[in-house]
Amino acid sequence: MNFIAKYFPNAVTMQDEFVQATGETLYMTFVTAVVAGIIGMAIGVGLIVTQPGGILENRVVYNILDKIVNLCRSIPFVILLAVIAPLTRLIVGTAIGTTAAIVPLVIGSAPFYARQIQNALSEVDRGVIEAAESVGSGPIAIIFRVYLKEGLPDIIRSSVLTLISLIDLTAMAGAIGGGGLGNLAINVGYSRFENDVTIAAMLIILVLVFAIQLIGDLWARKVDHTA
Amino acid sequence: MTNEAIIQLKDIDVTFHNKGQTVTAVKNVSLTVERGDIYGVVGYSGAGKSTLVRVINRLQRPTAGTVEVNGQDILALKPKELRVARTKIGMIFQHFNLMASRTIADNVGYPLKGGDLSHEERQQKVAHLLDLVGLTEKAADYPAQLSGGQKQRVAIARALANDPEILISDEATSALDPKTTSSILELLKRLNRELGLTVVLITHEMEAVKEICNKVAVMDDGEIIERGDLVTIFSRPEKPLTQDFINTATQVDQAREKIFKQARTLGLDDHHRLVQLQYVGASTDAPLITELYKRYGVVSNILYGNVEILQDTPLGNLIVVMTGDPDKLTAAWQYCQDAGITVTHLQPTDPEVA
Repeated sequence: MNFIAKYFPNAVTMQDEFVQATGETLYMTFVTAVVAGIIGMAIGVGLIVTQPGGILENRVVYNILDKIVNLCRSIPFVILLAVIAPLTRLIVGTAIGTTAAIVPLVIGSAPFYARQIQNALSEVDRGVIEAAESVGSGPIAIIFRVYLKEGLPDIIRSSVLTLISLIDLTAMAGAIGGGGLGNLAINVGYSRFENDVTIAAMLIILVLVFAIQLIGDLWARKVDHTA
Repeated sequence: MTNEAIIQLKDIDVTFHNKGQTVTAVKNVSLTVERGDIYGVVGYSGAGKSTLVRVINRLQRPTAGTVEVNGQDILALKPKELRVARTKIGMIFQHFNLMASRTIADNVGYPLKGGDLSHEERQQKVAHLLDLVGLTEKAADYPAQLSGGQKQRVAIARALANDPEILISDEATSALDPKTTSSILELLKRLNRELGLTVVLITHEMEAVKEICNKVAVMDDGEIIERGDLVTIFSRPEKPLTQDFINTATQVDQAREKIFKQARTLGLDDHHRLVQLQYVGASTDAPLITELYKRYGVVSNILYGNVEILQDTPLGNLIVVMTGDPDKLTAAWQYCQDAGITVTHLQPTDPEVA
């Protein structure tokens, strides 16, 4: 503890704030991951099945999804936060706070995840899809029993990537009023010249990222039977 | 074996449009496969064989024509009906197309998922199928742990899960070594015999057709250029492409080439003729060479000989140098032809064969 007290003089007095901020970061990450995960997965699968040569080929739907994903991904997140504040107010009732941050986080990360899922699923061998069609599988069965099952190792890897970039986004959202470790690092640590707080917040985020990466890698390896 | 048509393709056209280019992969092809047939479709890659057979289970919708399988108009089926129809048409592929994320047992059981069978019935069925293809002990392994031949056996078991009446084999042995190819073909033949499975075998290797098919169609540039029962096609191929395929399969080509290279040492003249003799069925048994000597004093020196047994019918190929007086040689020639033997005079200087 002496070591911590010596190098983190301010942070050590703010344990409650750190616990709360970490909780907020995890909350934002978790809720966003679930919501953006479902939306992103749906769009990603939609892109794969409607793409030219897909099992439910549909040029119109594919182009619409593709354009939406590109559009959302082109807006810098910091600007997105400000631009969609009215929408956030409409959905959550306020544009400030942890829950309010979830709206831009979802809009910022779901398209990214959709693209990742599309990439992961496009690795599924077209021949395996054809084999499933040849034994009489319909589109729903092919999506759930072939695409999502065969693509699982890549889906896990993409999810890890998305989660890590999501933590990055929560820090940005936090800095402009969303709470969490980003808020602590910028609005406390940086603004008050308490650098140790900034570093402590960063270290916690690093631990979170490493933990996610490690778990993801192990899980992906466990379900991957290709080699 | 009944003569009932199980697959009837009529006037099939398949056209692809790609970036303003129109490619006709299959042109006006009609094909009838009878129940119990092992029907070979041979052709070089790009001839349209795969496209043609994909029409059978509508993995490929033809641009024109009609498809009847088991009395059902496949093109008129609604998506759900089509899926039911597909369960009765098994298919295996060149690259096996197994699911890497599932065990062998799960791969074989995949087509049964969502069906009427209980979990136990499904397991029993999978065990039976694995036994059928001889892979019982691999049930818990993953495809990555298997050899090519084993993977194809798994694919065959999967294709049979719904008790299909037809099995389409799309270049299923093309990625396998010759020995494994033989064992897979042997398995297909056994399934044909034991389960009455009708097999449509697509391949670019005439050897595969030779081993198990009873009928064969040769495809070139989207069209069937020649078809018939195996023995007829092998003994009297009409189109040059068919002859090509057959000569490769019987290795007569290589033999001829070698002999031609040595042609000078043969000392061919009016008294020595280089001749290829082809005979089918019973005429194989006649002691031809002895007969030629006894009757005409013509001595035959055998340079190459090969007998294929196709569908229990022997098909022989001999390349000999006949030696004798010119008029005797002509008489011997006539005798061979009268005996139902196809005689071809080989001339090494002939630019066509050289």
